[in-house]
Amino acid sequence: MVTVNSKQNPSSERLNIVVLVKPVPDPKEPPKFKPDGTLDRLSMKLVMNPYDKYAVEAALQLREALGGIVIGVSMAPPHAIDALREALAMGVDEFILLSDPRLAGSDTLATSYALSMVVKKLWSKLGKVDLVLCGVESSDSNTAHIGPEVAEWLGLPSVSYVDKILEVSGGYVKVKKLIEGGYMVIRVKMPAVLTIAGTSYTPRIPTLRDVITARRKQITTLNADDVSIDTSKVGLLGSPTRVIKMWAAEIKRRGKIFTDTDIDRLIDNFLAELRKDGVKLK
Amino acid sequence: MIKPDYEFAKRSLVKLLLEVDIVLIYLNTTWLLLLKWNLLIEVFCMPVDFAITKEQEELKAVVREFSEKYIAPRVVEFEEKQMIPPEIIREMARLGLFGVVIPDKYDGLGLDPITAGLVLEEIVRGDPECSLAVTFLVHTSWGYIACKYGSEEFREDVIRKAARGDLWIGIATTEPGAGSDLTGISTIARREGNEYVINGEKAYISGVREAREKGTWFKEGGGHVTLTYTDKSKGHRGMTFFFIPLTHPKITTRLEKEIGRKGWSFGSFTLNDVRIPETYRIGDEGRGFYIAMEGFDHARAYIALTCAVAAKRAIEIAIDYIKQRRAFGQPIAKFQGVQFQLATNWSRLEAAHALAYKALWALKMEQEGKIGRFEVTKIVASAKLFAVETAKMALDDAMRWMGAFGYTEENPVALAWKAVKSYDWAEGSSDIMRLIVARELLGREYIK
Repeated sequence: MVTVNSKQNPSSERLNIVVLVKPVPDPKEPPKFKPDGTLDRLSMKLVMNPYDKYAVEAALQLREALGGIVIGVSMAPPHAIDALREALAMGVDEFILLSDPRLAGSDTLATSYALSMVVKKLWSKLGKVDLVLCGVESSDSNTAHIGPEVAEWLGLPSVSYVDKILEVSGGYVKVKKLIEGGYMVIRVKMPAVLTIAGTSYTPRIPTLRDVITARRKQITTLNADDVSIDTSKVGLLGSPTRVIKMWAAEIKRRGKIFTDTDIDRLIDNFLAELRKDGVKLK
Repeated sequence: MIKPDYEFAKRSLVKLLLEVDIVLIYLNTTWLLLLKWNLLIEVFCMPVDFAITKEQEELKAVVREFSEKYIAPRVVEFEEKQMIPPEIIREMARLGLFGVVIPDKYDGLGLDPITAGLVLEEIVRGDPECSLAVTFLVHTSWGYIACKYGSEEFREDVIRKAARGDLWIGIATTEPGAGSDLTGISTIARREGNEYVINGEKAYISGVREAREKGTWFKEGGGHVTLTYTDKSKGHRGMTFFFIPLTHPKITTRLEKEIGRKGWSFGSFTLNDVRIPETYRIGDEGRGFYIAMEGFDHARAYIALTCAVAAKRAIEIAIDYIKQRRAFGQPIAKFQGVQFQLATNWSRLEAAHALAYKALWALKMEQEGKIGRFEVTKIVASAKLFAVETAKMALDDAMRWMGAFGYTEENPVALAWKAVKSYDWAEGSSDIMRLIVARELLGREYIK
């Protein structure tokens, strides 16, 4: 649980948290591709990026511990709206969908620019934004660019692969971050951008009532002009990188199940199979 | 100049129409009116539509997630420990699964029987052993009936708790001397001022332990909608329903051992001068038999669905097995003898599944005043009869594909078979279902 030091944080400030959420093709369904090699998102069922669910959960836990508001932000075509309702059902207070045909084909740099403009808009509306959270990466493109790039556009510090938010006090946030083979604790000044790794935050399952209520909540849809986006920096033309081709990996591995009532014979059979496949054993 | 993306516009419009009913477009000085297809169908004709709404899809997704994460991994434990872990029941309560059909006014969700069926389907997919199906479907059916016919004080007192998942509602009609012939019961309720004094014994009742032990599964324990005679001389017109809290000190309980769905208890209870307030009477005196028949229709429709889904889930598990298990040099799924059984059984189960939803649809239509009581009873009886018989046959074949492994305690196909078998008799035997269907087809004069 998050701790708050009220001496250093006398106002026990309520946090304004923005969570970036991406609708992605349902990872449980096989991917479909357009002739140009990009994912055919329109014909696939969209769900909330599983990694972003951890960020939503982290934001909700922070709000429950310290008070404040959690606003979801997404950039997607209008039909993605259903995939975003799950965030509302989980407990996000408001949701903003940035949707504009001029944004289609944006790469991570263009997308992060557009998202940062929504955050700026919220910043001026709310007076402040304390934290911007998002999943470490998306399940459909796995770049892990968006969080750090949004931080760059906003001129904010960022910490990636946050395992746990440990403490919020005196305008700082202390986080435990995953590193190769261990952890690192970092104290960072707010506002800041954090990308959340899933290990410590199990996303809550919304109640049936929450699902029904979320369906009746309005999702605010904004276009590029509403958030003063320079359209030369977005879309396919504004993107410095291009996806040339995507395809589903062919899975050639096949599991083999060994069964035998005699354990020794079972292991012998297993080792024999390994040798047959060219594995060198002692 | 940005090139208009017509494909994007077209597909976005189609998707938008899935969300809203009407779209007005201003195009080159002309207004275009786009109407949602469903709206056109609803206005102009009677739909036969197997699609579910977005809200239903989302509710299903939530229950599926719960079922996959919390139920499926622990099903074997239900049988071994002969109990459902209380934390699963508490999580179901938190999710709102005990208030699905109870009106919003009493803290329920006020959803229709079809949506309740979609929820049940996900529970059964996680637990084809069906203990949780019993927990859910008995409470949902009889909770609905108790709310519909109970007094306002009763709704405020008991139904509100039931909807929150603080109290479980069961059903008690069967006695040691009376099952299919309900008029043979001997439990008597005698009125004394504003109270009733009840004496008798109920047998083979689900949820006796869970209702008795306050605080373990449900905060307030539970009780059973119980059929009694208030005037035996009037036959079935002298029967009355009461809600009897099993936490009552003058009730004694005894547990029996079922061969399947062992997670939810099963037993009998004896009422010895049990005094309950008049407000716990469900419906008027003399209406008990009719209310029981209505409640059975709800429970039987959910049971039909449970049997079809449990069998389909078990067959899916069996499919994985027959693809791996080899005999005579090839996977047994390659033998046409197995393939033909699989295809035949699956087709029949699809029909049973669809008929179960027709039964739930009939209940919904009845609630909306569009079809009558007897028509509902006929459809529901056909659905239960067909689902139970079909599921038993399909599971029997699947157990045979698995050979000796099919006959072991933890085999999911065997667990589903044992559960489905219970519906040979539970909530109305298959022969009673046949009598109902025949009665409705031939006329009452041909029965008896």
